Amino acid sequence: MDLELSDEEAALRDNVRSVLAGIAPVSVVRAVYDGGAPPADLWAQMVELGWPALAISERQGGLGLGFVELALVAEELGRAVVPCPLLATATQFAPALRELGGTNYLPPVAAGTLTGTVALAERGSWNLDAVRTSARRAGRGWVLDGHKTGVLDADTADELVVVASTEVGLAAFVVPQEATVSTASIGLDPTCPNGEIRLFGVEIDDDRLLGEPGSPQVESGLRRSMEEAAVAMAASTVGACRKIFEATVEYSKLREQYGRPIGSFQALKHRMVDMYLSVERATALVYYAALTIAEDAPNRSIAAAAAKAAAGDCQRLVAEEGLQLHGGIGYTWEHDLHFWLKRAKVGDVLFGNAIAQRAILAGLLGITARQEVAA
Amino acid sequence: MRLGHGPDVESFRNEFTSWLAQNAPTRAEMAADPSRGSAHLPGWARAWTRRMFDDGWLVPGWPADRGGRNAGPIETLVYLEELASAGIPRTTNPQGLGIVAPSLFDFGDDDQVRDYAMPILRGEKAACLGMSEPGAGSDLAALSTRAVVDGDHFVVNGQKVWTSGAAYADFCFLFCRTDPTVPKHQGISVLLVDLATPGITVRPLPEIVHPDRADLNEVFFDDVLVPRANLVGELNDGWRMANGSLAHERGLVWLRAVLELEDDVQRLIKEAPDRLADLGTIESAVHADQIANAYVDALAGRALGYRGLAKLVRGGSAPEQALMKAFCSEARRSACLVGVELAAGHGAELAAPGHRREAECSWAELYLASFGSTISAGSSEIQRNIIAEKVLGLPRG
Repeated sequence: MDLELSDEEAALRDNVRSVLAGIAPVSVVRAVYDGGAPPADLWAQMVELGWPALAISERQGGLGLGFVELALVAEELGRAVVPCPLLATATQFAPALRELGGTNYLPPVAAGTLTGTVALAERGSWNLDAVRTSARRAGRGWVLDGHKTGVLDADTADELVVVASTEVGLAAFVVPQEATVSTASIGLDPTCPNGEIRLFGVEIDDDRLLGEPGSPQVESGLRRSMEEAAVAMAASTVGACRKIFEATVEYSKLREQYGRPIGSFQALKHRMVDMYLSVERATALVYYAALTIAEDAPNRSIAAAAAKAAAGDCQRLVAEEGLQLHGGIGYTWEHDLHFWLKRAKVGDVLFGNAIAQRAILAGLLGITARQEVAA
Repeated sequence: MRLGHGPDVESFRNEFTSWLAQNAPTRAEMAADPSRGSAHLPGWARAWTRRMFDDGWLVPGWPADRGGRNAGPIETLVYLEELASAGIPRTTNPQGLGIVAPSLFDFGDDDQVRDYAMPILRGEKAACLGMSEPGAGSDLAALSTRAVVDGDHFVVNGQKVWTSGAAYADFCFLFCRTDPTVPKHQGISVLLVDLATPGITVRPLPEIVHPDRADLNEVFFDDVLVPRANLVGELNDGWRMANGSLAHERGLVWLRAVLELEDDVQRLIKEAPDRLADLGTIESAVHADQIANAYVDALAGRALGYRGLAKLVRGGSAPEQALMKAFCSEARRSACLVGVELAAGHGAELAAPGHRREAECSWAELYLASFGSTISAGSSEIQRNIIAEKVLGLPRG
């Protein structure tokens, strides 16, 4: 197993990083934080560079690259706190369409003319058993009612893959954003707006149904696409965390107290090393999980949950220590640190935080009480 | 990045596993005469080392005349994994094979290679490392065991401590002070000291668990005469050798720690269903969370190790050594503590629940024993200092 980037992978990462430094500098992030909209040409430039098409197959008008490349892009999006529809569209919407038989939607996604997201969670849980949103037959179509939480880009995506429960089991539909009522403004990070949507008797045509309701393909397709979304979210979180870690180390070399840089105090050094260990732990697992998805390895579910758990652990330590070690300056709106802190927090929450991931792992690994067998 | 190895590596693996099937020591012969310490060579171990040396499987990365076949680091990793999964110890003298012999190849003269390094490779001699002293642990360069030139000999006086395997080793790779008048790093030399030399006393130093199986020792030197020819490298140039050898299998030392961590985590997962069935819902959920976290650590340990190795293969440096040392030893300590707590009311017992005392170590013993790794060979705190200064570039305090 080779877990270091190849020359091509490193070149892609470097290219994305340098492009983002040009088109999405921190001044753009600050403008969005201060209530502005992302510059209109930001998305256009990403489309021109082919980023929405990256992991979509060539048959659907994509570039045909794999999930490793997509994860590297997601990591850079987190590192630069970029306000754009790419994360939701490329790592949630497109994989769900591919896995659930909605490939006819992919060409416009690849072309950058259609953005989307996935509305799966309810009451804060991404567990498929928690889905209560209902879809019932009405004539030649369906009527959807329900309340979804944790929807990335809930009020800006063009279309949403909505997961609902039918009489025969789970089903997924492509729902136009304007048919939903959204509350995306409640997000902690305005560059990565997550919110709730409500569906009040939304009528959906049959041709917007993905797959056969209640079929094993729908459930396995949902799980597989959720793994991709979770690992991409983990990558984005790790990108933000590495930036916090680097900023903290740099600050500790510059900031002097008692006549010496605070980074020379052993009490702080060891805490920054703990941040480093945590970032490296999460990075290694994100890359490993990305590979298991790219190569469709049998342990991809385990690897994905472990990566998301490690990314969550990482943000917990790195956000806390990064803010504490910056001291008062990091506590101000004027300092940029909070952009990364908030991105990291959102990244832990969406698609299940570290505790939720360990619960998934416990189930997958059989870490559960043995049931008494009745005689 | 990719998950698998290339076909060349897989054919290397097949070649080794077929050889291993024909040549490995049997469980019966190992059980009849177990190794009693890290420099004890039972008869089967001597023969096994010799077979590996003769057939080029002792140190695959070395040339044939040193018991290898010029294999690359990935092949060496596969080789170590196959030995571990077969449950076959590669050596019963890890310090001799892993540190002393390669250091002699780097720094010793031809006679020293012939008389000390090659016998280690052929299973004829075992070596120990004389480094730590009562006053020189983390600050190793403060060592004070003196070696004074007197004609054709050095006269050695002083004391070493934590010397693994000294009770069985044939000779010691001894760090001692040869010039007390210069800054501490500049007055250290290395001598090869035959442990049968008069004036040497080895006193076993039992550990907090299994005091009957002491591997650590105190070694006292009282006017010990060592021939001048046994000086390794130049006089007062010994500190360079304290950081290990370039011929050492750097970048792979983590594997053993990861394998041990994986074993512990698998044991936790195996024990969980029965243990959790005896506990209430809230306790059970807390334990399941902690075991899953230990699993994440084990998976991360392996992924981190592979990442560091890949950097090494591409010709980069490997600060991952310090990272891996700190991470794996602490993850293992945490995993063992999870085991202690999972054992609940049995957590303070000497036998694993449902096992005889001899059958399996209890988690309490494993937990206490795990401090061996967070303390020895550069404590976790020293590893953090190394990472802070060498990797993060933080200023010295």
